[in-house]
Amino acid sequence: MRSILAVTALLAAFANAAKLGISSGHVTISSSDKTLLQSESISIEKPLKAPLELNSKDVLKLSFNVVEKTKKGDDGSAAQPHQTFLRFYDEVSGEEGIQPLRVTSSGKAKFELNMAKPPPSLPPTPAVSNSTHALDKPNPLTVSLILGSFTHEPLHARLFDLVLPASQPAPSHPEEASFHSLPEIKHTFRPDPTSPPKIISMIGAGVVLAPWVVLLGLWAAIPQSLPFLSSPSVLVFTALLGAFEGLLLWYWVALKLGQVLAYGAILGIATAAAGNRALSMLASARTKGM
Amino acid sequence: MARWLSFLAQVAAFASLAWANSSTGDSVLVVLEKELQREQFSTFFNGLEERGYQLTFREPKAKSPAVSDADIPQFSHVILFSPTTKSYADDITPQSLVSLLASNVNIIFTLSPTQTPISSLASEFSLILPPPHTPLLSHFPPRDTPPTTIPISISANAPFVTPGTSPILFSGVPHALSTNPLVVPFVHAPPESFAAESESDGGADAVVDAAEKGGEGLWAGSSMGVITGFQTKGGGRAMWVGGVDVFSDDFAQSEVEKGVKSGNAQFSQDIAAWTFQETGVLRIDNTTHHKVGEVSSPETYTVNDRIVYTTHISKYDPTSSKWVPYSGLTDLQLEFTMLDPHIRTALKPLAGVPGAYQLTFRAPDRHGVFKFVIDYKRKGWSHLSSAITVPVVPPRHDGYPRFLSAAWPYYAGAMSTSVGFVLFSALWLAGDVRDGKKAKGKGKAE
Repeated sequence: MRSILAVTALLAAFANAAKLGISSGHVTISSSDKTLLQSESISIEKPLKAPLELNSKDVLKLSFNVVEKTKKGDDGSAAQPHQTFLRFYDEVSGEEGIQPLRVTSSGKAKFELNMAKPPPSLPPTPAVSNSTHALDKPNPLTVSLILGSFTHEPLHARLFDLVLPASQPAPSHPEEASFHSLPEIKHTFRPDPTSPPKIISMIGAGVVLAPWVVLLGLWAAIPQSLPFLSSPSVLVFTALLGAFEGLLLWYWVALKLGQVLAYGAILGIATAAAGNRALSMLASARTKGM
Repeated sequence: MARWLSFLAQVAAFASLAWANSSTGDSVLVVLEKELQREQFSTFFNGLEERGYQLTFREPKAKSPAVSDADIPQFSHVILFSPTTKSYADDITPQSLVSLLASNVNIIFTLSPTQTPISSLASEFSLILPPPHTPLLSHFPPRDTPPTTIPISISANAPFVTPGTSPILFSGVPHALSTNPLVVPFVHAPPESFAAESESDGGADAVVDAAEKGGEGLWAGSSMGVITGFQTKGGGRAMWVGGVDVFSDDFAQSEVEKGVKSGNAQFSQDIAAWTFQETGVLRIDNTTHHKVGEVSSPETYTVNDRIVYTTHISKYDPTSSKWVPYSGLTDLQLEFTMLDPHIRTALKPLAGVPGAYQLTFRAPDRHGVFKFVIDYKRKGWSHLSSAITVPVVPPRHDGYPRFLSAAWPYYAGAMSTSVGFVLFSALWLAGDVRDGKKAKGKGKAE
């Protein structure tokens, strides 16, 4: 059984095997209220060119006789092959359905396709968006006949094309999507914080600095006497105070808290000492003047 | 397609009997049933040994060598050429075979029309077998050999098979495939084939009855598979072959049609190569991530940081038995997720560095604990997965933008205060002592 080197009687059988074929092939489409919509005769030699279209309640009836073909190609006696299948095949998506047909002893075979109760052997025919048609129609199914037999030469031939009403697509596994690229996700960021136009900021700064103009102007109008302005201790103290403000500016720009506290402590001691000296100098100047 | 072609070029080099080796080990246990002889499969076994595998043979009921000892697999690969054996020794049970697959051991299963414990395991792999004693038959193409010996041409889409392999001869059972994406079909049944018990034309009625009666209908057509692989999530691969004769010397040396030798010898080595994790095996070598402009990974990222993520991926090259950097993945994706992916973009190959894929992106402006996730699964390839956790924190108190133009009035005000304080102190210290003069003036007036 496993060794194919054994020559079986099949060799002799196929040497003179008759071919199989069909005769009186007939296909009709009728609507649900039994009115005949289309009727064609079909044969292996001349498959139908135009596709047959079915609506969702139509009935398609196919009938033919399986015969042996003589050497000249004429129809011989009836045959009952081992395998009489109708194959529905979607060339684009590769979906396939096989429907076995029962052949009587006189070789008659028939098949009824009622779209109101479709058989489970039909492949799914999902609607395909097609730019040339207004309505989305599924791809046509190629319907072919497979005749196989132990004693005759087999036959696989196309009969006609069939356009069925649109169906649900074939179910897919829930994890199927993770085996392909998933859609890209972009994060929408909050908009960057914006500032008002610089002109407005400049106007604001100008408003803040305006009182200085007033102050300096009024000061200039008052007669002032500043006798101690250039005395050394006052100058030192004023310089140290300015340095303190400079330290604060430096802290604002670059320093950390620890550093500014350290520098500030040093400067603070110095400033306190200088201020003490300036005040005592002023006090002695005041008592001297009295 | 391009990556298959480049890979297949490598396998073509292998086809000239170069050394080829699996990425998981060399030891193979062959469980050969009594009805079969090692010499019947000499082409297949010699081909495996020439490629560097160490074969150990035993019968199904023999207690040693065991496939695993105390849950540790003793062999890297297992071949079960026991399609009609109904009872095995204790170490081979469906459960033990599944746990072997989970431990990254690869298994080739063979089936036959008889029902065995192994055929009941097939349904766990989403393969539905026909009723018992219904082998695959095809009356096409018309030929001298029995209808159960079927020439099947290898389609151009078959994964990881040398292109141009001649049609193979097959004899055994088909199985219906489910939509499980872990199933990798290698060979489908021919469209005119079907599973039936009959041996003469009188069995036609039985065929139609089986279709009308059974829940699944008739096992027929090209939607059935005959040789199907399965990639488990843990890494181990299984190959379900509908009949052990695919590997036999008889089929390897026969002709499928006049003058064309069957492709069984080359094909059986190709499917063994895929099953034993020689071909279609990827791995991640390492991944790094850092901020743009830096080199080392920080402990935390700040929101809105620009992050560079780099990964290095290698593919196993069976001819040199090495992992070779591989830049051929065109659809690798990175996900930056916190419970749900916030960002999912393509990881593109980095030019100039083989095997490197890099992405520069901006961290989302939500803080939290994120993961860099790579989860790459494609039919027939091993799975790549990597997840690295990083915290993303909001900016520190001094991480915000400073010296804004909107703050100029406030800067002006603060500086005015400082300047005013210094000026006032200076003027007060420098000024006259008015009290003394007034007292002087009063004193004089008296």
